[in-house]
Amino acid sequence: MSEVPKIKQISFLTFISKVNHYILSIIVIGLTVLFCLPLSGSQGYHLVSFILLFVVSVLATFMGIGPILLASALSSLVWNFFFIPPHYTFHIESTEDILMFGMFFTIALVNGVLTTRVRKQERLARSREERTNALFQLTKELSKASGTGEILHVATREIKKHFAVDPSFILQDGNKNLSSFDHVQKAGQLLSQSDFLMAKWVFEYSQKAGKFTNTLSANEHTCYPLKGSRLNPGILITEHTRPLSGDKNIFWDTFLTQISSSLEREFLEELAKKARFLDESDRLYKTLFNSISHELRIPVSTILGASDTLLNGDHSENTRSALYNEILTASVRLNRLIGNLLNMSRLESGQLSVRLDWYDINDLVNKVTEDLKDELKPFTLVVAVPEDMPLVWIDFGLMEQVLYNLLYNACQHAPATSNIRLNICHKNKELMIEILDRGPGFSEEALKNVFKKFFRVEISKSGGLGLGLSIVKGFIEAHKGSVSVENRKDRGARFMIRIPSELMNEKIVT
Amino acid sequence: MNEKETILIIDDELPIRRLLEITLSASGYKVIHSPTGREGLIDAATHHPSLIILDLGLPDADGKDVLKKLREWFFKPVIILSVRDSEDEIIAALDNGANDYLTKPFRSGELLARIRATIRSSEKKKDEPVLEFGTLSIDMLNHIVKKKDETLKLTSTEFSLLNLLAKNQGRVLTHQYILKEVWGYGYIEQTQYLRVFVAQLRKKIEDNPSKPKLLITESGIGYRFGE
Repeated sequence: MSEVPKIKQISFLTFISKVNHYILSIIVIGLTVLFCLPLSGSQGYHLVSFILLFVVSVLATFMGIGPILLASALSSLVWNFFFIPPHYTFHIESTEDILMFGMFFTIALVNGVLTTRVRKQERLARSREERTNALFQLTKELSKASGTGEILHVATREIKKHFAVDPSFILQDGNKNLSSFDHVQKAGQLLSQSDFLMAKWVFEYSQKAGKFTNTLSANEHTCYPLKGSRLNPGILITEHTRPLSGDKNIFWDTFLTQISSSLEREFLEELAKKARFLDESDRLYKTLFNSISHELRIPVSTILGASDTLLNGDHSENTRSALYNEILTASVRLNRLIGNLLNMSRLESGQLSVRLDWYDINDLVNKVTEDLKDELKPFTLVVAVPEDMPLVWIDFGLMEQVLYNLLYNACQHAPATSNIRLNICHKNKELMIEILDRGPGFSEEALKNVFKKFFRVEISKSGGLGLGLSIVKGFIEAHKGSVSVENRKDRGARFMIRIPSELMNEKIVT
Repeated sequence: MNEKETILIIDDELPIRRLLEITLSASGYKVIHSPTGREGLIDAATHHPSLIILDLGLPDADGKDVLKKLREWFFKPVIILSVRDSEDEIIAALDNGANDYLTKPFRSGELLARIRATIRSSEKKKDEPVLEFGTLSIDMLNHIVKKKDETLKLTSTEFSLLNLLAKNQGRVLTHQYILKEVWGYGYIEQTQYLRVFVAQLRKKIEDNPSKPKLLITESGIGYRFGE
């Protein structure tokens, strides 16, 4: 409502300034004549003509075409009246003077008009440059923006800056439906039901509608489709106070095209990501089922076969004990498999609770080496823990699993009788655990992937699900620590664990 | 074994009960088993077993509640069976008077060893002033600890700790329980004291402190005095 008198006020002001220019040109010409009157006798009227022409040119630099026409006509008339002999008449005696008068009028006119036109051109060029800059700015900001939220934020800001309107956007939900009406209300924009219906129509038919358009022009708002090359991201709705004129309209359309293509890019990226994610989880499922059924079947068949043999038929003591051993080994393997699956599911579900407490790292080493007693038998395990090793702040159960998996792996790959080293120390507020073996190490490819789920090195004789090291990584990360692997210079692999562990605040006196 | 010791198994899973019955009978024990907590309590009262193996996950009652009811009148050893990764449950059961625990799946050799050790230590006379464990002797009366006839210098806290564990030989004592008994209620969360003192004590009493045989760590649960 308040907009209407404002517009009138503006046009009134321009009107005043235009009238002012007419009056100003009359005054300036009058003053110049007054200034030149004393010269008419001594210097002659030719000099006066030059002065008048100069004044008209100066006026042309800031006045419109009307006042300049007036100034040119007026100056030629007054020149004729006051200065061309006979003075104070419009009569001209000599032919030369008639010619001079005619030329004066023409020069004044051409001079004035040309200057005005140059100015107009310059103004156009400047506004074109401003628009180019605005577009450049928009493109730059949009390309920097990541995510639809940021794009909309940038778009709204730039539209406000260059068009003085406050736009709101309604985007589609990815299934070619405009997001719900409530969603727009939440954004602080109060749109009526008819606005929303118009928005739907615009989205469906990809044509603008509303105020100042040919469709639904009774509406208070104007609605524009955001068109992309492969999908239409949504619509823009805004309130114009007056129609956009010619080149401003082109500018607006260019703006919308830029915004649309940015939004479209974002939409397409989102779709691609979803597709990738589905693909990945599909692949994981397949791997999981394949390897689980494979890995479970081996020990189960061993147990089944061995117990069946034992039940049917007489066997020597040696055969029997060999079969019992097979059953035991298979069960242990099955148990380890289930343990790893359980640990993985604890990690995957995000329900892993870390119960940190002070622990003596020697206890951890004892526990794990005791559990792996049989596997470690063919090797020489060299454990190095400093005499003054402080207590460490860890989850015993999780770290037990970490150390178990790493040492177990070393046992699987290292050649018999070789050394397996376990170096532990506390440096720079970090617990550092290093496991070194003399196995074949890893290929470049494997080094990158060993911590990934279900990754297995080709020559793996141990089978397994390829979960051990990803569990190690998960558990170490639950301690906010890191684990890395590299090949040793001469031969073998080196695993390095770092876990932040402050020292105890108090000194315990024994 | 001259007289057959009776063992009561309270577990709802038939395969486990069957396996335990075969294993334990083969080792000369008399075995009774009940699938529920309620029946277990009745069996315990009628058969007076020397030891009870109790599963924590029973269908009709919480294993811990069964244990509490048992402990009102049953003072012989109870060994807890539990699934992996339920440290809280195990700790609660031990604090409620269980002597030891085993997690499923377990090796029957391990179970038999635990049963023997638990029954033996429960029969041992605990009121004797001097306890002997291999080359180690603890004179409770005079606060003298000797290893290979050499007197060890122990601080009073070290002695209290050793005393507590040795008196409960074979039994798993939880961190909280030890902290409460040796240091007092205010120290129940201060596990670091326990770690430092245990490490210290190991250096004095163990033959090889990095492979302890006497002060055995039960990871995440507590300590047990071996032999």
